[in-house]
Amino acid sequence: MATTTATVTINSSDLTGDALSLSTTTTLYKAEQTVGLENTSGVARTLVAAAAATNLSSGLVNLFLDAKYTNDGAHKVYIANKATDATHKATVLIENVVIGVLYAGDWMFIPWTSNSTTTPIGGAGGLSTITGVDIKIATSHANMVLEHMIISE
Amino acid sequence: MATTTATITLNSSDLTGDALNLSTTTTLYKAGQTVGLENTTGMGRVTYTATVTDTVLFADDEYADAGAHKVYIANKATDATHYVEIKVEGVTLGRLYAGDWLFIPWDGAGGTDIKVTTAHAGVVVEYMAIFE
Repeated sequence: MATTTATVTINSSDLTGDALSLSTTTTLYKAEQTVGLENTSGVARTLVAAAAATNLSSGLVNLFLDAKYTNDGAHKVYIANKATDATHKATVLIENVVIGVLYAGDWMFIPWTSNSTTTPIGGAGGLSTITGVDIKIATSHANMVLEHMIISE
Repeated sequence: MATTTATITLNSSDLTGDALNLSTTTTLYKAGQTVGLENTTGMGRVTYTATVTDTVLFADDEYADAGAHKVYIANKATDATHYVEIKVEGVTLGRLYAGDWLFIPWDGAGGTDIKVTTAHAGVVVEYMAIFE
């Protein structure tokens, strides 16, 4: 089995009066096991030629399709916005639900189960539903560059 | 303004024939600016003595909409079966297994509470938001 580690380090000397110096490392295992994840997309780089619609209704890039990965997997996803202009943002969505925005230079690292289930969203009872958990990106400007990788079961 | 940096390092000598050695650092700025994020929850730690389902860890109404907030969550369990499921707006992001962590951007918009579900009692979660 492969041994892959992921470390996050967060530092700040002036965010509070107590200097922030966090470092956490995890070894990437399969779900509920101590067997290492064995598959990866490799570190990929995508030039997104056109910006998405402002209302995110079109032009989204499907980075990771849930149908390609095992349900209930302990997959890990890394995405980075390689832009250098602070206004060039990459909005991250699970299906049509906005998770957050990667501004220039930002990166994210998340667990992803890839379950293709129907989920009510919009509060108790659900105002609508989504089916699937594809990871999508909407870029604010043309010719933005994304780096991305999945390490999967 | 505060200067806060976040670095991810991914390493593997045997995942593929080409050793993985990725390191990326970002400085945490406000949305669309080069002004550092100024607020933080500090590092929190909670022990869920019983299993919980969709317990709110970060409530969106406590944060500015359209912010460049960053959220860190770690599952401090050591038993491989003790996972923590993370949801945003009812959508399952994924499961943090023992020792796993996540770092995500979060815009704090209405209806995007970040919630946790634990599979076992006694799970310890560490968490922090750095926000506008």
